[in-house]
Amino acid sequence: MIFKILLAGDGGQGVQTIAELICRTAFEKNLEVTSIPNYGLEQRGGASLAFIQISDKKIGYPKFSHADLLVIFSNQGRERSVQYWGKNTKIIDIKDFKAEIENRKINLQNLNIFFLGVIAKILEKKKIFTVADLFLQAEEKFSKKINWVEIKNILN
Amino acid sequence: MSEFIPVKFCNGCGYPIILMLLNKILKEMDLSAKTVLGLDIGCSLLAWNYLPVNTFQTHHGRVTPTMLGFKRARPSSICIGCTGDGGAYAIGLQGLAHAVKRDEPITVIVVNNTVYGMTGGQVTPTSLHGQKTETSPDGNNDYPILGPEFFKPLANKNAFLARSAVNDPKQMIEYLKKAIETQQAGHFSMIEFLSFCPTHWKTNGIDTINYLNNLKEVFKPGII
Amino acid sequence: MKNKKFITGSDMAVKAAIDAGAQMMYGYPITPATEIFTGWIKNKQNFLQTESEISAGFAVCGGVLAGQKAFSATSGPGHILMQDGFVMAEGMRLPFVLFAAQRGGPSSGTVIYSQQEVILACYGGNGEGMRLVYSPSGPEELYTLTRRAFNEAWQYRFPAVILTDGYTLKEKSVVDFSLIKEMKNVPAYPLISEDKVIHWPNIFTAEEELYHELVLAKADFDKISPLVTTSESIQTGDAEVLLIAHGIVAVAAKEALVQLRSEGQKIGLFRPVTLRPFDKVALDKVVGGKKVKKVIVVESSFGQLARLVKDALDPTLGKPFEYIQYPALGIEVDAMILQIKKLIV
Repeated sequence: MIFKILLAGDGGQGVQTIAELICRTAFEKNLEVTSIPNYGLEQRGGASLAFIQISDKKIGYPKFSHADLLVIFSNQGRERSVQYWGKNTKIIDIKDFKAEIENRKINLQNLNIFFLGVIAKILEKKKIFTVADLFLQAEEKFSKKINWVEIKNILN
Repeated sequence: MSEFIPVKFCNGCGYPIILMLLNKILKEMDLSAKTVLGLDIGCSLLAWNYLPVNTFQTHHGRVTPTMLGFKRARPSSICIGCTGDGGAYAIGLQGLAHAVKRDEPITVIVVNNTVYGMTGGQVTPTSLHGQKTETSPDGNNDYPILGPEFFKPLANKNAFLARSAVNDPKQMIEYLKKAIETQQAGHFSMIEFLSFCPTHWKTNGIDTINYLNNLKEVFKPGII
Repeated sequence: MKNKKFITGSDMAVKAAIDAGAQMMYGYPITPATEIFTGWIKNKQNFLQTESEISAGFAVCGGVLAGQKAFSATSGPGHILMQDGFVMAEGMRLPFVLFAAQRGGPSSGTVIYSQQEVILACYGGNGEGMRLVYSPSGPEELYTLTRRAFNEAWQYRFPAVILTDGYTLKEKSVVDFSLIKEMKNVPAYPLISEDKVIHWPNIFTAEEELYHELVLAKADFDKISPLVTTSESIQTGDAEVLLIAHGIVAVAAKEALVQLRSEGQKIGLFRPVTLRPFDKVALDKVVGGKKVKKVIVVESSFGQLARLVKDALDPTLGKPFEYIQYPALGIEVDAMILQIKKLIV
């Protein structure tokens, strides 16, 4: 089993934060995992990409040509990730979730958390780890934050 | 003709203020075509496609010797080198000192935010005593260099060395004009601009301005 | 108790330096090597940020002369400046250990990745390249080769470069520390000490004096080469097509090999682990293999590894060479397989 996830958004959207959470969860479940960010010149702004691979066997090269799951957080993220679309890539794009985000009144600052929930459900379906597993890691990381209640709600 | 180029500087950065005022003055003095803008490698490099002026990047700490080379080859040009406090006073100190000493007729703009911005906010020669950064986790041990003051003893009496701040646009304009006129008269000029860096100062809004105003206590604005 | 960590390459480098008994780091911020410096500092180790890589390099030399396990880390334009101090170490046989994280070049290039500092690491400076250069494939090897670099530099008195890259340092992966063998440390010792007066030049009056020094140094370098030189040969016995790659590109090459073998292609991989000294004996053996019809050198450079290979290779072997060259660009497994297939039609 090997599953390749590419998260693509703008710097400041929390892409690397949720990449870390996904990886932590996989690691705590004793899975093999690699992650590597893109990085460029600007300290702020610019695209933020995270290449994640989860497997039951040792992973070699940290980057890949085509993602199994591509999560697009922004227009810039979409532009910068086009080359990673493969025939079988499942794409989660923010533009398809506009309605749900509005209905559930999700603060754009917490967009990354919203997508974390979406990703968790997909990974659970693929039997990689469960939403509860991810929730545990998220709780550990965020519970000290003031808006933890809000975050919990979004994840649910 | 105007083309919209997305700004790559962080929100709240002082570079756009400096660059836009520089551009304004060059236009007013009708010097845009003659001007060549050289950039250090640091946050200054992001200005490479910013102004309607010939611009090129050099190497980290090496913009001064590059610009003096251009000027000596084409004395009719207006040569401006733009660098940060790290590029000017750490790795570029030797180059800058000798340009002052030889009274090279170029203009060096030093954008002082007291950190190495592009690499993540490490300590520089202008970091304050006690300033905490990734490479001064227990607080900076030594004291900041006051650049223009440091070079003054080496300078020709007709050279222009000054310091201003990005929230003093009137003064910035006055000094930029004087610096260019000094170059036209055949002498060295440098201006250190105290500049905003909310990203690495970890400040927001009014705190950024207060931080800058506090820097003026140490780095005194004025003509040196 | 799990002895696994989800850890960056930079942190592996830092851990290796600490475990090697390194005592002092001189550094200067430069992407993508900065995290080795800040990681070292976070571990409360002795350090100094100098005003440039030139000073950092000479400060390392100073520390080493006094018997301190000093080291530095740099990249790209900083690597060029570091060669100034490093070449003094080459001339004076000082155990200078340097992490060189390759980024795009020439000039400021990119802050990201390449394999374009191979020649700089191996032959930078105004000498004959008598330095030890290690090219780790993956974070575990980054750790073990760093340990070796400190040991072999101090054991054999040649400066050493751990030649890595931005991807390896930024990548986070699961490392099982229980699989990493214990290593003993070679101790440092003062090269200048109070109980003895020595007079030590690095410039000589006459040509013959320098020539003599160089002959002695070369004799030493040749003597220790068999003890240091390392390479890996994978499925080369029956290979018809031989890949040659190093560092992180070899990580991808190993995966490409598995895939191509499963499709029935008789591919093998030769991976130099030390670039200086280069494992010429193993290279000749593998390239000279009866079945080898073609050699493909794969690298993120326009031929810097290929140059080392051709230089080391027995010229009478006469096998056809092809090159997959992507300077400053990462080479993913799928992309590599595609290019290999084009060349073996």
